[in-house]
Amino acid sequence: MLGFSQSSLTNFLFWLTQKKWFLITMALGFILFLFPTPKGLTLEGYRIIIIVITTLMMIITEPIPLPAIALYVIVFQVIFGIDDANGVAHSFMNDAVFFIMGSLMLSVAIIKQGWDKRIALGIISLTGHKTKNIVFGFTAISAFLSSFIGEHTVAALMLPIGMTLIRFTSQDKQKVRGLSAVLLFAIAYGALIGSIGTPSGGGRNVIMMSYFKDYGLSISYLDWMIKVYPLVLIQIPLISWVLIKSFIPEYDHLDTGVRKLVVQVANSPEMTGRNTIAAIIFLLVFLGWVFLSETIGLGTIALFGVFLYLIAGYVSWEDLSKNTHWGVILLFGATISLGAHIKETGAAFWLAQNVVNLFGNLMNNFPIVVDGIVVVMTTTLANVLSSSATVAVLGPITLNLIEDQIHIGLVTAIASAFGYFTAVAAPACTIVYSSGLVNAKDFLKVGWKAGILSMILLIIYANTYWLLIN
Amino acid sequence: MMKILIAVGSKEFSEPTLRVGMKIAKALNALTTIVDVGEKTSKFNSKIVGLTQERMDSWEFDRPGIDVLEWAFQFLADHNYISPKMVDAGFPKNTLVHTGGSRSEVFLKGTVCEDVQLILRNGNIIEELRDEVKIRKYDITIIGGSRKRRMAHDLVQYIDSSIFVVNQFNPNQTYRLLLAVDDSTGTKGAVKFGARVAQAFNIDVDILTVSKVDKFGKGYKGAAEKAGKLMGKCGINYQNLYRVGDPSEIIKKEAGDNHIVVMGASSKNPLIKFFKGSKPLKVMEDCHCPVLIVK
Repeated sequence: MLGFSQSSLTNFLFWLTQKKWFLITMALGFILFLFPTPKGLTLEGYRIIIIVITTLMMIITEPIPLPAIALYVIVFQVIFGIDDANGVAHSFMNDAVFFIMGSLMLSVAIIKQGWDKRIALGIISLTGHKTKNIVFGFTAISAFLSSFIGEHTVAALMLPIGMTLIRFTSQDKQKVRGLSAVLLFAIAYGALIGSIGTPSGGGRNVIMMSYFKDYGLSISYLDWMIKVYPLVLIQIPLISWVLIKSFIPEYDHLDTGVRKLVVQVANSPEMTGRNTIAAIIFLLVFLGWVFLSETIGLGTIALFGVFLYLIAGYVSWEDLSKNTHWGVILLFGATISLGAHIKETGAAFWLAQNVVNLFGNLMNNFPIVVDGIVVVMTTTLANVLSSSATVAVLGPITLNLIEDQIHIGLVTAIASAFGYFTAVAAPACTIVYSSGLVNAKDFLKVGWKAGILSMILLIIYANTYWLLIN
Repeated sequence: MMKILIAVGSKEFSEPTLRVGMKIAKALNALTTIVDVGEKTSKFNSKIVGLTQERMDSWEFDRPGIDVLEWAFQFLADHNYISPKMVDAGFPKNTLVHTGGSRSEVFLKGTVCEDVQLILRNGNIIEELRDEVKIRKYDITIIGGSRKRRMAHDLVQYIDSSIFVVNQFNPNQTYRLLLAVDDSTGTKGAVKFGARVAQAFNIDVDILTVSKVDKFGKGYKGAAEKAGKLMGKCGINYQNLYRVGDPSEIIKKEAGDNHIVVMGASSKNPLIKFFKGSKPLKVMEDCHCPVLIVK
């Protein structure tokens, strides 16, 4: 046909099937492009909304490589006249992108130190042998650590500990199905719960901090912790309880497993001076975040930590380069650029106004409704998209919903961490899923309970505790 | 030398596929590759999952998929498909070599068939199999049945090798081979393969010719006779069946659950096959027995 061989036609058809979501997305974008600009919205504002919709569709369906989506955002923001080339380039890089880059690199450096074996001993000495206590311990330690070193790093460090305990309890996977689920979800959900506790807990928090700055608002590292950390502490026992009730562990006590784990860890090399220095470097980074982040930025401090690990020879550039997902960094840069332009073009305000018009009376009579809308919207999007991308795109819109921007901004950032529902919702979930010991249905089985519980807790918490401390 | 690719997915469900695949590999003395295609990881988290795997190694955990290959190794050992030296040494997971992308491989010295290679891949199954076949130029891809209808379509449409779907294979069942012939170009290859498969399983052959009209043309009759001659030469018992009606429906009816169906691939334009389907595709989707589509 038209000189094409059967093989090239087959290749083309295969390409079509692989890229069908890309083609559907482009077709939708083109149709939207042909529509007249909605009333009250600038042409640039309408066009940025088209780019946002198409970008989100591509991030969710992943029909093309992630960096290609980032390139799409760059190119079309310029072509559509939303900003000139320099403006787009400028909006691509800020402290939040530095933080995401630094945090991914720190994660590589930390995971390479092998702290997991020390953590294992710590958990066991704190929790003892009772399964319920161990589940609580896994959730609590994961939550505590992820507040400082990021949920993905924690999940990567904790997974081998959990799996070793499971393996030592029984080699037959079917006999420890409930125990496997409860321990691995304790790691993933614990990491998610804790990641809201500090600004450095996740890229999404830093993105929100940068939006606060853009709106002339400021919240320090410690202020964030004072406002949010109690919610972390409330969630830990509640989520542990939900897990225990959802997946009933086969054993009440893990005597054999714990004993063998202790022996294995005891046989591993002792803590060396080198390990101590690696820990001190991280402590310096943490202190920097607490005391200097308002002056020099969270991202700069994270990169300084990477710099120290590199010059001290704790991680090689080859390792960092190989294990850092540069495509993700580029994509987060793109979503942050989108966020900036949603705000600048007035699209964020227009979208927020539409939400206000839709729920106006309800929102006026019951201010709590705004939180409800934001929490549901953010959690939903965060479960199909990345949480950082969710905050990058939704942040400028939600910040226009009410006057108390810190309140609604924090609600947005916190709700974006409720990625309990699917295995791909958050890196911590994907990591435990990769073990093969939990399946996709398990996420739905427990995710909706944990999700609804966290959403309700957040709304109540934001409208009680924050009022009290204000 | 023939090259065979056998796709397995789990210890629980892939035994029939491996059993059938190795039987064919033995009959053809083929270079054989057994592949396990693991689940696709979200692109967002691929790096951190890889890094976690490195930590898992330090705790002496195998990466996902190794257990499937280990099981395949054990199957090969139990059925004497690999040399006793290899069996004695045990599954050589330490010699699993990363060969780029998500692909890792390990070689085993074969006995009754040529060397056996075990490989691990991760990603979309059709994409991975297509890539594997494209690079290594396999003659047949053998895979278990899937409930997803789209899977059959994609296998037939996009994998550039003959496809053998080991659908609902029962090792205790006595099978016959149903060889569907007509005047299409694909029939010649199907007859050759059919004879090899019949020899491998030591089973009789039903040569089925289906015409949509009452009269059987020269081409149809000629194809059936030629197929019969070849079977006779190979010492295979056969009978010729002539039926009138819709080819896919008749093949499905004649096949029942006690035949291995062998037929040639459609020579229609890929675009037409994509939108309208084809006879082999319909047979593959509807039959409750193993089906080999020869390309």
